Amino acid sequence: MDKSIIKASDLSLVYKDGTKAVNKLNIEINPGDLVYITGPSGSGKTSFLKLLMGIEFPTGGSLNVLGVDIKKGRKGRIQKMRRQIGPIFQEFKLIEGRTALENVCMGMRFFGIRPSKIKKQAMEALIRVGLESKIHTKVENLSWGQAQRVAIARAVVRKPKLLLADEPTGNLDHENAVSMLQLLGSFCDSNTAVVITTHATHLIENQKNAIYVHVDKGEFSIKTGKAGIAAIS
Amino acid sequence: MKSLFYNMGYFIRELFKTIRLSALSNFFSFIGTSLILLLFGLILISWWIGDNLVSSLKDEAQISAYFSPGMEQEQMHKLVDEIASMDGVTTARYIDTEMAYEENKRLLGDEADILELFDDNPFESYIDIRINLDDMDSVISRVTSLQGIDYVRDNRDVLAQLKSLVNAIKLIGSVVALAVGITTIIIISHMIRQGIYNNREQINTLWLLGAPSWFIGFPFVLAGILLTLLGGFAAVGLIVLMLEKGYAQLSGYLMFLPFPSVSELKQNISYIIIVISAGLGLFGSLFGLSSIKKD
Repeated sequence: MDKSIIKASDLSLVYKDGTKAVNKLNIEINPGDLVYITGPSGSGKTSFLKLLMGIEFPTGGSLNVLGVDIKKGRKGRIQKMRRQIGPIFQEFKLIEGRTALENVCMGMRFFGIRPSKIKKQAMEALIRVGLESKIHTKVENLSWGQAQRVAIARAVVRKPKLLLADEPTGNLDHENAVSMLQLLGSFCDSNTAVVITTHATHLIENQKNAIYVHVDKGEFSIKTGKAGIAAIS
Repeated sequence: MKSLFYNMGYFIRELFKTIRLSALSNFFSFIGTSLILLLFGLILISWWIGDNLVSSLKDEAQISAYFSPGMEQEQMHKLVDEIASMDGVTTARYIDTEMAYEENKRLLGDEADILELFDDNPFESYIDIRINLDDMDSVISRVTSLQGIDYVRDNRDVLAQLKSLVNAIKLIGSVVALAVGITTIIIISHMIRQGIYNNREQINTLWLLGAPSWFIGFPFVLAGILLTLLGGFAAVGLIVLMLEKGYAQLSGYLMFLPFPSVSELKQNISYIIIVISAGLGLFGSLFGLSSIKKD
């Protein structure tokens, strides 16, 4: 049985205006993989994440995410697949007017879990990202960095098989950006693959077990381990 | 199912949030729905009363057959028996001249003094025939053709007019029922669409997090049902008030008119309006949700 979380073969995405966002990408991501996708703004990183989320659909090749053929685009199956993904959106997509705790709970409400258990797990997740003092604060009253941590807590509380983080270092200073990448990397385990996009190549640590993907104008180059970091730096 | 049960509190909070977000617009939707359901309720009551009236008059339908001059008493009674055995005839009763005089005296009421002007009893004996309204034409034709019957007096015209009036109310009622249904569905589906628009960011986030469609749509369906139910209750309240006032005004005449009892009317109309408003709320909400998905 195929245990891969993501399997792309000759995957392509060409927008209606002719822009090639992804060009014939071949990649396989398995549980426990930590994947950094780097490249300049507009290179195709976010488009690739959109494909993984089933927001965009391949225009060529094939893409299988958590056992779902994205190209077929069956709504019900895509929704089921999304429940196994922990997305951290670039703009966070937190729900205003709600507290940090309510936002984190929101990601699990449709999992058929008792509300008391959801609340307990959400609090643990918020504590893990260092927001124990902001649990009952409305998200519009949080700083940018704190809001980002709420988004992370909402993603990881679901115990996802695939954690996707889109430009998590965007507005952070060097020190915070490094600790953010370390925090996200810490969620990678034998059940979970973590995919992080960033344009700040210099922030990425040289990790032996990581996969480094560089993308520019839809062209992806993939390297692993120490050689990989050297190739994209 | 577990998610539905566990999230009931969340759905109820979301439902009130949806209503609160466009409070004024939803208030107008509520007023509109109430008035539409009130109109529907009034038409339904008219229909009901009219139908009741016709049914009662059907049971009471009566014709009078007058004897040819110079008939013997025995022959008259034979004719009464013959008519009583006809299909469509409920009862046939011989009314002699004295009984006819008393009956007319009763009908004339305060004006009965006029009868004293006559030296002799001006009324003839006749046969009072109670019939099934649907068989009226055939009974009249058979009775008229009997030997010994001079002429037959009937209230066919009045009954025909009453029947056509009730049919017209039924027709108007059907049109109003259709209009009420369509209008309520439009109002509620518009309200749902507006609610979805106001909550679009939250819906989009939930969608991206993998929330199933029913989970996203359920609070909106609840909001639609609640709003139409409230409209239904308001309409029922107004109808009950109007019925009580109306029946109080007609209290003097009610004993002579075959109207249904006010308590029966109030109870039936309340059930019907509440069930219909809940159904329309559900249908309108689902229609609103489905039309959004197509966009």
